[in-house]
Amino acid sequence: MLSKRIGNIIFAAFLILASLYFGWLAEGFETTGLLATSGLPSKFFPQLMLGCSAICAGIVIWHYVVHDQKQEFVFVTSSDARRGALILLVSIISYFIWRELGFVPMAVVFGPLSLLAMGIKQIGIYVIVWALSALIWVIFTFVLGVQLV
Amino acid sequence: MGTTEALLSALIQLSEPLALLLLIVGIVLGLIIGILPGLGPPIAIALALPFTFYLDTVPSMVLLLGIYSAAIYGGSISAIAVGIPGTGAAIATVQDGHQMFKNGRGGEALGFSLTASVFGGLVSTVCLAFIAPLLADLAAKFGPREYLAISVFGLVVVVRVAGDNLFKGLLVGALGIFLTTWGLDELNGTERFTFGSYHLYEGLPLVPFLVGLFAVSEALVGAERALQKVEFDKDSLSVKLPGFKQLAKMKDNLMRSSLIGTIIGIIPGEGAAVGAFFAYSEAKRRSKEPEKFGTGIPEGIVAPETANNATVGGALVPTLTLGVPGSPAAAVLLGALLIQGLTPGPALFSDEPDIMYAIFIGLFIINCLMMLIGLVAIRFAAHLIRVPTAVIVPTVMLLSFVGIYAVSNSFFNVGVLLGAGILGYVVRKLGYSIAPLSIGFVLGPILENSLRQSLTIADGSIIEFFSTPIGLVIYIALAATILWGWWSGQSK
Repeated sequence: MLSKRIGNIIFAAFLILASLYFGWLAEGFETTGLLATSGLPSKFFPQLMLGCSAICAGIVIWHYVVHDQKQEFVFVTSSDARRGALILLVSIISYFIWRELGFVPMAVVFGPLSLLAMGIKQIGIYVIVWALSALIWVIFTFVLGVQLV
Repeated sequence: MGTTEALLSALIQLSEPLALLLLIVGIVLGLIIGILPGLGPPIAIALALPFTFYLDTVPSMVLLLGIYSAAIYGGSISAIAVGIPGTGAAIATVQDGHQMFKNGRGGEALGFSLTASVFGGLVSTVCLAFIAPLLADLAAKFGPREYLAISVFGLVVVVRVAGDNLFKGLLVGALGIFLTTWGLDELNGTERFTFGSYHLYEGLPLVPFLVGLFAVSEALVGAERALQKVEFDKDSLSVKLPGFKQLAKMKDNLMRSSLIGTIIGIIPGEGAAVGAFFAYSEAKRRSKEPEKFGTGIPEGIVAPETANNATVGGALVPTLTLGVPGSPAAAVLLGALLIQGLTPGPALFSDEPDIMYAIFIGLFIINCLMMLIGLVAIRFAAHLIRVPTAVIVPTVMLLSFVGIYAVSNSFFNVGVLLGAGILGYVVRKLGYSIAPLSIGFVLGPILENSLRQSLTIADGSIIEFFSTPIGLVIYIALAATILWGWWSGQSK
């Protein structure tokens, strides 16, 4: 199981690397024309925020490495972790189903896949979720007039 | 538009059938979402936000304000009945509320929470109506340096109250601000982090980001505990309203908690939960029998419930007058004003006084109606509390997806929603608060523009930042807040 300590160190390290990358990208900002010399350069503020983020992330890493040795976990149980990861996966897959195949196929599979990801076995809940999905589709399509492609 | 004309216009707009209907719908939806454990006011407002795209300003504002007020109150019902606070604002209510319920005085507890919530909401609305125009007059004199000071103040306060680790709060706050720098530079048109995509020219969209951060991340967290069941005695869910004599005995508690809630609501970033805890500890400190707090006494319900609803009016003060949200829920509400083409700030009071009056009067009516609708809602609360999380999770997710798509017809915005949801999920799981992230995302553009303009005005001199009286007062207040936090931390 992933401990909060390790999770925080990985996340903060990732943010430091991301800050370096975006800070490097910001170096390439080019302002052309008359506005080029007016005021502060466009890279100033993003780099300031990235610098703040990187310093704070460094302090967070130091805190977890030196001070915080508590054995707390990101997820309460491994089942929680599995449910969280699976529902995340279902959301991303559903987004692509919507983009590629349309809203209705996505709405049809999203509910059941989510419930499967959460380990739900009662058939009644599947029916309720399907009915609610249909209701959302009806409200948006026929009441609000939105073309859900 | 004169004051009388504006008032009349506000009343006419509020008396339209659609506005009245949405006002009631808002209260009902807010109560439902508030009662459902885990879904708080920011999520409730975020889910309704896309619908406001199809509505005029006044109907959409009363819908969202109804949701906001009722969701805060609704959280107390599940806090009392099952000991699970429906919202963060109701955490302080659990201690005495649930204990009263277990002692067989559930009806009384629910009656006190409803009455106190309505009282707090009404007092804060009156305060809002008096303070907001005065602050708007003052804010009309604000320049970049004052806006910079107020944005820094708001952000620092949010970070300070957002969790145990100051640097974790600062980290996500800075991350939220950084994400607002994507897109074309407002001052000189430079492309920043657009990655060649025209979708990013206007930056990351506010509404999908906030809805993702609050609603989608909460649904993802909720999915983990989908198999948990809630058990309680539904027969105890009846209401017994307190008599005038009982309320008269608590008049000091009611007034003090209302004022605490309103003031804490005004401070940018301090939410309903902070107000509730502060009022609870103050009621306990001033009580002749402090040892009884936590054993199930009405005073322990009245203080937090009055204060948390009083934060609603308070939070609207900086949101409407300065464009600086007073709470995460107010940050989402600010997004609703932007959807309506309105820019929150002092000009709103001079340009759209009728809308401001409609908000004040609407909020007052909402609190009055909440008394009646709340009485009915408690009877149905038993069914709502037992709605399985497994039903809520996919419904909230689908509603978020469709709602965001409906506003923009853009898959890119749905992608931003999903991305923000994943970011919110990760930071929540790692013990960060999402409040600094959301407030940073809202304050980012104000902060950047005011900083760059201030530096240009000051010709690079930092001392010039403190040269305006209002700015100086704000920085002194900020320093006092930080010192107070440090001092109270040391004394604990």
